Amino acid sequence: MHIPDGFLDLDIAFAFYILSGIVLAISIIKAKNDLSDRKAPLVGMIAASIFAAQMLNWPIPGGTSAHFVGGALAGIILGPFAGCIAMASVLVIQALVFADGGITALGANIWNMGIVSVFVGYYAFKLLERRSVFVASAIAGWLGITLAAIFAGIEIGLSSSFDYSIAVTVPVMGIWHGLLGIVEGFVTAGVVSYIATSRPDILEKPATG
Amino acid sequence: MFSKKFWIVLGVLIILSPLFAYAADLVGYSEPLENIAEKLGAEEKTLYEGILPDYSVPGLDMTSGTLISAVVGALITMGVAFGVAKVISR
Repeated sequence: MHIPDGFLDLDIAFAFYILSGIVLAISIIKAKNDLSDRKAPLVGMIAASIFAAQMLNWPIPGGTSAHFVGGALAGIILGPFAGCIAMASVLVIQALVFADGGITALGANIWNMGIVSVFVGYYAFKLLERRSVFVASAIAGWLGITLAAIFAGIEIGLSSSFDYSIAVTVPVMGIWHGLLGIVEGFVTAGVVSYIATSRPDILEKPATG
Repeated sequence: MFSKKFWIVLGVLIILSPLFAYAADLVGYSEPLENIAEKLGAEEKTLYEGILPDYSVPGLDMTSGTLISAVVGALITMGVAFGVAKVISR
């Protein structure tokens, strides 16, 4: 769901640059407390893996394709602030090196996949993890990608190249990614469950109380 | 510093990338965003080509181009994310 150049009006693109810039700045300040020197390599490893996983575009019968986004996964493993930095690194490299996602749309793409999916995924997981790590991370992954898609629908729907058809773009993006997001949920759940059993030290501690 | 399991996972993902590129090329499917854009007549404007446009190396075949893109992209992404995290954690 990387938005290319030409889809967004420049004022909308600019507004999302500002919004994403603010959240990234806060994340950099907040991540300082989360990130020990030991955890910095993990941020690199997660970002590289998500980059590579996003290259795998799965053809879905019926004419659609989809790839894993990984925002919720990054948030759950790294915490929301470092997760957001990992995702922003992926999106910046995709835009600058591979022209995947427009230069003008980079702020919006970071907002959707690097901020919304990360924070929503993280908090959904935290809310539910004491019931079941698998279910919590599956819901987090699904919600993360679906809400990111809805935001993409809002941004393009508000832009004039889509003829102000927000009533079409939001449901179409939301419904499609709500379906494709089931895969995102299962992949997120699989990876988080595996890490929770094999390397629980990597994950943030569950909230107590 | 970077675990062995990570390199294995990354290696597998990278090796799979040309396979998926080939499959995507074969069926010609596109993402929901591209599908709605086409339906509503929105057009993509190329303002910038990138260095490895669309995960390919200009002049190389698709398989090697995708593979090189995956390796280069994953390593740069790892370097940037690790570097930023390292600087922040100081």
